[in-house]
Amino acid sequence: MAGPRQMVCYTHLFGLVAIPVYAARPRTTMRKLLAFFALFSVSAFAGQPAFTVGWSIYAGWTPYFYMNKSGLLKKWADKYGITIKVQRFDYAPSLDAFVARNIEAVTMTNMEALDMPAASGVPTTAILIGDYSNGNDALLVRNGLQMKDLAGKKMLLVQKTVSEYLFDRAMTIEGLRSQLKQVRMINTSDSDIAIAFLSDTSTSAVVTWKPMVSQISKQKGITSLFNSSRIPGEILDLTVVRTDVLNRPDGSGRKFAQALAGAWYEMMAMMTGPGADKVLAAIAEGSEDTLASYKEQLGTTKMFYTPQSAAAFAASPDIKQKMALVRQFCFDHGLLGENTKSVDDVAIRYPDGAIQGKADRVRFAFDLAFMQMAAEGKL
Amino acid sequence: MSAGVLSVHAKPNRAATLILSWALFACGIALYFYVSHARHRDNPEDRVMPTIEQMARGMYSAALHPAEDDEVQTETGNFWQDFPHSMLWKDTKASSRRFLYSMLLLIPAVLLGLHMGLFPYVGVFFLRFILFFDKIVALSLLPILFIAFGIDELSKIMLIVIGVAPTVILDTFNLTRGVPPEQIVKAFTLGAGDFDVAYRVVLKQILPRVLNSIRLNLKAVMLFLFAGEMIASTDGLAYRIALLRRHMGMDVIVPYVLWVALLLFVVDWGMRFANRKLHPWFHE
Repeated sequence: MAGPRQMVCYTHLFGLVAIPVYAARPRTTMRKLLAFFALFSVSAFAGQPAFTVGWSIYAGWTPYFYMNKSGLLKKWADKYGITIKVQRFDYAPSLDAFVARNIEAVTMTNMEALDMPAASGVPTTAILIGDYSNGNDALLVRNGLQMKDLAGKKMLLVQKTVSEYLFDRAMTIEGLRSQLKQVRMINTSDSDIAIAFLSDTSTSAVVTWKPMVSQISKQKGITSLFNSSRIPGEILDLTVVRTDVLNRPDGSGRKFAQALAGAWYEMMAMMTGPGADKVLAAIAEGSEDTLASYKEQLGTTKMFYTPQSAAAFAASPDIKQKMALVRQFCFDHGLLGENTKSVDDVAIRYPDGAIQGKADRVRFAFDLAFMQMAAEGKL
Repeated sequence: MSAGVLSVHAKPNRAATLILSWALFACGIALYFYVSHARHRDNPEDRVMPTIEQMARGMYSAALHPAEDDEVQTETGNFWQDFPHSMLWKDTKASSRRFLYSMLLLIPAVLLGLHMGLFPYVGVFFLRFILFFDKIVALSLLPILFIAFGIDELSKIMLIVIGVAPTVILDTFNLTRGVPPEQIVKAFTLGAGDFDVAYRVVLKQILPRVLNSIRLNLKAVMLFLFAGEMIASTDGLAYRIALLRRHMGMDVIVPYVLWVALLLFVVDWGMRFANRKLHPWFHE
């Protein structure tokens, strides 16, 4: 729970004098504190605006590991005269750190971007659309059950995440929405879900994502009833930046986004170009994975390898319909917060300027500019 | 001899005791709202540190709105009719049931410790294994627990028992060993049998200390209960916290955490009270 920001408070506790300053002008103090920490770090940081991007293990995000390790990101950061740090997190803590404004950019899905930062009053802008899940998330059952048999059965999933969204959509598409509430959902941590499902045969179904899906479907008698390739483009994997960082008056935020976009698409080109296997193997290392397994995951991930394809997707009218489904789901499940009375209270702005929701409450935006610059080679 | 305020001989008067004992509470609460207020001025929609108003609203709906999966979906406005259908009540009930079962399963653990301490063959048989088992981190056994006990109630209760029982067994064992041997010899010379000695001489006098040791372990019990509920569950206090954490529902989490602390405090107090009533002769 926003551990890092609270840590800041505790740090202040030891320097008691700092408390009133902090309370009065939190953000300035944050900056002072960062500057204070910077004193201790290498002098290379001196004078340059520093940014941190957080990522977590997922096929479409692990490239950040390689971008950092190979010096690719540093090359682009130097070009724009900034410093970029890369930090690996578990998924949930990475979102917490972003919401607590401890990091400037992070990888997350469109759904979490809406229900975590955007709904917590931290306006967020998606600058890169990396990929969408095209089979990575799946509903698996044992004993050849059908969708209509699931009422009253036990199903494991991480509730209130894309897993529940996928199941909701699956039932809707199959016309079984009325049975949705009869399925007995058991909230199960993603780290234990594979073993929990395989070892307890009283559970009938599981909704999860890769690599767990691959482990589970290897077992005998498991069939896949539905996967995210049936709802293409609804589960988007993004790189997002805080809107206030992007709009910093000194322009360093935009430089940060430009450097990220530049490095990202150079990385994408390496993943498809000659010698790609060597690069992919190095990326797989970032999640303690093998080349074969990583390639298998990429097979069900629709990567936007070129900035043109990503920009075209972001500009298409489809994205609005898809986001409308996602935001309605978030609202129906109370993910936008107890105090959000209308789905329009967390509004989304699209690249063409259209706004979904109340115009004065834009909390989440898709920004094409950086993908376009990359496409036009202007970075 | 002058007794300075900070000396060992200082005698705080009633007012000082009252003020000082609540001072840290007041500090903590003030600091929280100070920072929370500042964060809300900076970002009125902040969810990380909810204001008292947000928490009250969150708690109100947790305690009075019908739970999402309840068949009754309307509020009557009457507290006693609404509360049993609420999320808070259902979660508390589910967690309390697990808590109670695992506490009951600690009774055999106490008896085992007693027997190990008194009967050499039982001691030889169990001691080394339990000393080893005590050092196993129960949470790391989770996959095995799932295979052995499924993912339902049993595995959660077993997680607690496996985590806490060895400590209780070893503690009871040590307390049993601490009973002066002269007493046991005396009981035998007065014609007591083995089980008379075990249950009427030894158990009786170590029981208050055993209860205290279980009280110290309440937090461990709760920790394992929470871990189990967060990993796979359909209800319970920690289940709710795990779910709310997914979208930063701190306005409900903070009151929930305080509610758990209160429940735990009541259980601890109840055990202390029972201990005093059952063993008025015991003074430590």
